[in-house]
Formats: sequence, C-alpha cells, structure tokens
Amino acid sequence: MNLAASIAQIWALTQKDLKILLRDRTGMIVLFAMPIMFILVMSVALQGMFDVGSADHPVKLLVVNLDQGALYLNQEEMHLGQAIVDALDGFDGLDIVTEIDGQPLTRERAEALIADGTYAMALVLPPDLTQQVIDAVSGSAPPAPITVTFITDPGASSQLTAPVLAASAATMNRTVAYAQAPYRIRLALEHAAAELPPEQRAWVAPIAKALIAELTTTYNLGDIGGESEIRIETETPASFQVEQLPTAVEQNVPGYAIFGVFFIVGVLASSILNEKETGTFRRLMAAPLPRSVLLLGKLLPYYLVNVIQVALMFAIGRLIFGMNLGHSPAAWLMITLATAATATGLGLLVAALGKTESQISGIATLLALTLAAIGGMMVPTFAMPPFMQQLAKISPHYWALQGYQDVIVRGLGWQAVLPETGVLLAFAVTFYAFAVWKFRFE
Amino acid sequence: MSPTILTALNLHKAYGPIQAVRGVDLHIQRGEIFGLLGPNGAGKTTLLHMLTGLIPPDQGEILFNGHLFTPEAMSLKATIGLVPQELALYPTLSAWDNLIFFGRIYGLRGRTLRHRVEAVLDLVSLRDRARDPIQTYSGGMKRRINIAAGLLHQPDILFLDEPTVGVDPQSRNAIFEAVEALNREGLTILYTTHYMEEAQRLCHRVAIMDEGRIIALDTPRRLIQEMGEGFIRVGVPADQQQAFVQHITPLMGVHDVIRQDGHLLVRLQEPLRTLPAIFQIATTHRIPITTLQILEPDLETVFLQLTGKALRE
Ligand SMILES: Nc1ncnc2c1ncn2[C@@H]1O[C@H](COP(=O)(O)OP(=O)(O)OP(=O)(O)O)[C@@H](O)[C@H]1O
Ligand SMILES: [Mg+2]
Repeated sequence: MNLAASIAQIWALTQKDLKILLRDRTGMIVLFAMPIMFILVMSVALQGMFDVGSADHPVKLLVVNLDQGALYLNQEEMHLGQAIVDALDGFDGLDIVTEIDGQPLTRERAEALIADGTYAMALVLPPDLTQQVIDAVSGSAPPAPITVTFITDPGASSQLTAPVLAASAATMNRTVAYAQAPYRIRLALEHAAAELPPEQRAWVAPIAKALIAELTTTYNLGDIGGESEIRIETETPASFQVEQLPTAVEQNVPGYAIFGVFFIVGVLASSILNEKETGTFRRLMAAPLPRSVLLLGKLLPYYLVNVIQVALMFAIGRLIFGMNLGHSPAAWLMITLATAATATGLGLLVAALGKTESQISGIATLLALTLAAIGGMMVPTFAMPPFMQQLAKISPHYWALQGYQDVIVRGLGWQAVLPETGVLLAFAVTFYAFAVWKFRFE
Repeated sequence: MSPTILTALNLHKAYGPIQAVRGVDLHIQRGEIFGLLGPNGAGKTTLLHMLTGLIPPDQGEILFNGHLFTPEAMSLKATIGLVPQELALYPTLSAWDNLIFFGRIYGLRGRTLRHRVEAVLDLVSLRDRARDPIQTYSGGMKRRINIAAGLLHQPDILFLDEPTVGVDPQSRNAIFEAVEALNREGLTILYTTHYMEEAQRLCHRVAIMDEGRIIALDTPRRLIQEMGEGFIRVGVPADQQQAFVQHITPLMGVHDVIRQDGHLLVRLQEPLRTLPAIFQIATTHRIPITTLQILEPDLETVFLQLTGKALRE
C-alpha cells in the first residue's frame, strides 16, 4: 500500500463519517445547536455581570469607613480604614463610593441602597479597626480576628461579588501587614537587646529608632494615615488585576465552544461502537486497509468537526456580540488544534473502554458535563473558592479556556499559549496511548 | 494457475475456554461453490473470519493461490470478497453512497467506480432504489446490498456468511440467482448456511461442520446416498419410549435410535423390510404407535446420521 492510496482511503473514510454525522440529528444538536444556544442565552443573560473590572464598566463598591484611627509607635495618628479605601480606589475596575449626596455613608444607608437595588455590595470597616490592628501586634489584647463586614444583595451573582471580595481581602491584608511591620521590627530588636549585657542595651534603643524612622520614610509607612500616597498598587499580584477578567461574552463563547467540543467524545465513541456492532469494521478489515489507516480515517472527521465547531462559535461571538478575537490567529489555532486532539483522544479512550451504547453515552455525558463544570466553563474559575480553582487544573477544559482567554482577553501571542498547548497535548498523548493500548477492532 | 484457490491447514481458534474451531483442513477449487453447513455455534463464522484475515488463527496456515495469507497481506486481501453475516452497511446512507464508499476503500474511483456500483446494483436488481437510505429497505433488500458491497472490487473468491438469514422468498431467489450467475462467470464462492436445502441446491461440494470440526465433506448427492437414507420418525407415548427402544434395538437392520422432540428417529438398513418387524414388536408389547413417517433422504438426515442432532432446533 502506498501513501497516496492510504490518503485516498483516509479521505473516503472521513467523507463517509461527515456525511453520516450531517444526517445524525442528535449529534448535530449536541455538537452545534446546544453550545450555540448556551452562548446566546448565557451571554445575554449575564451581560454586565462579568464586566467586573473593565475600565468602561467599573463595579461600584460602597465602603462605610467607621474607623476612628489610633496612636501608633511615635505617637503618630494612624487611619488604616482610610488607607484601605484609598488602596481599593486604585483598582481600575472598582469604583469606590464613600459618600452619598456629600454625606459620609452609614451602615444603615448602605444597607438601604443595596436593598433597593441601587448598589450590589458594601464593605463596612469597624470603628476600632486601626486599634485592633495595633493591639494585635503589640500583644496588649488577646489575638482575635478583625471583623470587616461585606454586605451584598443576596440575589447578586457570585460571579460579580467574588472578585470584588477577593480584591478587598487582599488589599486589607496587605495594608495591615505593612502597618504592622515597623512595630514587629521594634519588638524583634528589643527582644534581641534583652540578651545583651546591661551596659550595651542602651545602644540599641537609638539604633532601633533610627532604623524604624528610615523604614517608615522609605516605605511611606508613616504616611499611612495621611495622604493616599501608598505604593500598594504597584505590588498587586497579577491575579488581583481585576481589569483582566473576561466579559460575559469572553467567558461564554470560548467556554461553551470547549463545552461543545468535548461532546464529540460521546458521538465518536458511539460511532465506533456502531461500526463494531453492525459489522462495518469487519467488512473494512477484510479490505486491503491497514488498521492504522482505518483508525486515522475514523478520527480525522471528528477532529475536523471540532475545529469547525470552535470556528463557528467564535464567529458567532464576533458577529453577534462583537467579541474581540485578539491579535494572534496562530495562538488561537494552536489552542484549537490541541483541544480537538484532546477531545478525540478522550473519545477513542471511551470507545476502547465502553462495552455498550448505554455505558458509552453515560460515561461520555458524565465526562463532558463534569469536566466542563470543574474546568470553569459554566461558572468561571475566578469566582470559585481557592480549592476549586486548584481542582480546575485537572480538567483539559480549564487549560483550553485559559489559552483562549490569553488570546482574546489578554491579547497575547503564540508564545504565551505554549504552556496551555503543552498541557493539552500531554492530555491528548495520554488519552491516545491508553486508548490504543486498550482498543479492539472486534 | 493452480486449480486449488484456497488451502487451509489445521486451523484452530479458541475464545477463552470455547474451542470454536479445532483442526480444520480445506481445499477449495477454483470455480466451485463450496458449502459450509452446520448448526448455530458450529464455528462457521469463526472459520470464515480466519480465512478472510479478520482474526488470526491460533494454529494452522492459510494459502491463497499458494501464497501464505496473513492479515497484513494487503495484495491478497484485494482478491477476496467478504459478505459478513451481519448487515454491514451504514443505515442512514443510501445504497449508492454505501457502495461508492466501499469501492473507494478498494481503490476504485471515477468512472470505473460508478460503473462497478451500477453493475453490482443490477446484479441484485436494486438499481431503482439505490438513492434511498438503507434503513428504508426491507430485510431482503438490505441483504442484497450487503452482497453487492462484497463484489465491487471483482474478487477471485467470495465468502458469503449466511446470506439468506431473515429474507423473504423473493429476495432469497434473487440471491440464489445472483450467486449462480456469479459462479457461471467463474467466481469461486464459499457459502455458509444452516439451511441444508440451500446447500443442496447451490453447492458443488459441501463440508458439514459441527463443534469446530468438519465431520463430512463431499458432493451433496454422495453424502445423501451414503448417509442420508433410511430414517423413519416414530411417535410412541413418552412413558413407553424406553421399553420400545429396548425391544427394537436388537432387531436385525436397525442401526440407530435417536430421540428428538418427543419422537424417535430410527435409521434402518432397509425400511420396507424392517418395518413389519417393528410393528410386530409394538403389537406384542402393547405399545401404541401414534405416528409413523419415512423421512426423505437429504442433508438434514445426513446431519442427523452424523451427529444425532437436528441442524436446526
Ligand atoms: N468473539 C467471540 N468471543 C467469544 N466466543 C465467541 C466469539 N465468536 C464466536 N464465539 C463462540 O465460538 C463458537 C462458534 O461461533 P461461530 O459464530 O463461529 O458459529 P457459527 O457456526 O457461525 O454459528 P451461527 O450459525 O449461529 O452463525 C460459539 O460457541 C460462539 O459462542
Ligand atoms: Mg455464523
């Protein structure tokens, strides 16, 4: 058998399966109609919810700052509440509201505004916030958690509130840690001095004083209660850069495209089972058709369908919702080809392991839904608790979505999606290796 | 060219503990219709699957035209045609699309391919329905397309695995005529069935298979002459069967007694000469004979003789 003959056979097999699939109403619904329907419904239904952080649609956060400040170290006044407000204000995607009609917010007013739907959430900083922080570090009070209240409309989506909550928590912790730093340094030095002979102890006090003064000026720590000149923003970890979260469309189009792509698992696996059961595989194996060629010809059509699915979903995103496609078709193609390879590999694996039609459709549907849910297709991972965010990484869906969002949300190029492509290909190779090992043509 | 197109030597195949084929030798002559006759589970399909390279034998060899046949021998595969026992077709595609597809797998294309598809459709008289999806066909029409698909590449030898199962009389006749026409043009055919009348009508030679072995092989006529004659079926009340058998077994001219479906099948040297003695015994021992039938000799009675079993229960 020469190569040309094998290619002709693969093409004949491919066209045959595409023809069968075109007539398979259930298959077409699952692979095309369902993901498109999800994209349309979810993108319209969740419009605005995801726009957390885009500079155009900042999320409004009410902050009730009751903090009265306290005296600290050099007897300077410190206002951590204000420091936190200023830090939060620095986020591009957040719009911090502390006054209404020129009046500072009260808790009652904030709750009323949330209850009537004007705002979605509020952060309440307690009157003794700064005092509690100082007490905690000086040991003058037993350690207790410092309570800050976050009020939301119970109807508000966690997709909306979760990132704000995360950003607030991170900001507060960082602000508090910075404020406590000089005190901790002084305590450490005093502790060290206690070990010294009495005549040397006197030297430590002026050194400590100078060091702390230097630190507070250099790192602006003494200024915490004063102007809003805090350097926290520049040190914000990338994950808190709220402005890079996807919009509803940027989440749903790639999300449900990937969701649909993995429904090929069931379609491919039952098609293989069908060929075994009706005996068409047998007829093909009696023909001068090497088994490797038969297998390639069986996989290629489904692989092509996957690529068409993704292209179609993104076209819908672009044409109906004006979704940004990024600048790198190469990166998009890399993710698409790797995702399709993973999905067909999983399909072959399910075909190799499933013995009956009901087993196969059961396993395939379970996989398609669970991996999509875990991987953040339905609820984005940024809205998940940290444990679930880690768990998401076992799903190939997660890596595919990250890859697409690198391209369309973050505007990155092909180098940036190498890690995601690599992980997807690793999934694919594992699936194929295991499937080919277990696969029987009979 | 050698007159033997296919040789199988000492073929064995087991599925776990089941010995499906245990030591089969075959020599199929070019141009003959060779029948493989046997009850359900005899190992016919398993043997055919080894002969067509679908499964490797556990032991033994297969030669086509003197060349060793292996599942990787693609050029030899191009010379054989298989019509599987199942309807190995894509039900949502039309007969036309199915045949075009299988033809392309055999490397046919363009005008040659179309001509071949038309030719096999004519052979099974289904050209006018060719554009309808297979799933709209009757069982017999599906069977005919199933056969057509094995003929596209003009094989030297065709393997037909029970091609008439579940078929209406009209389609059955169409299939017989197609098989005979193909054979007249020189095609060698290996025909598997458990209908003995089919084997009797179509086949030049018949191998009778049971429990994985070939237990007789000859022309249908010689098999019937040698082993098919002399059966009578006797009806005797169930509680008296044992006594009856005990009394007639020692009689001169009684070969065998087989119980089947509540009846007794007795093989006699010369029925007309021995029957009076049997009636005599029945009268003496007051055993009523409720029915009596002299069986016409055919492959069914040959099989009975060989195995004590009916071909079909
Ligand atoms: N794939 C298989 N796995 C296990 N056992 C099998 C398999 N195929 C056949 N057998 C067993 O091998 C024996 C022979 O089966 P085979 O299909 O060859 O018989 P057959 O003569 O074609 O019967 P039928 O007339 O019913 O088609 C049977 O006992 C069957 O159960
Ligand atoms: Mg069979």
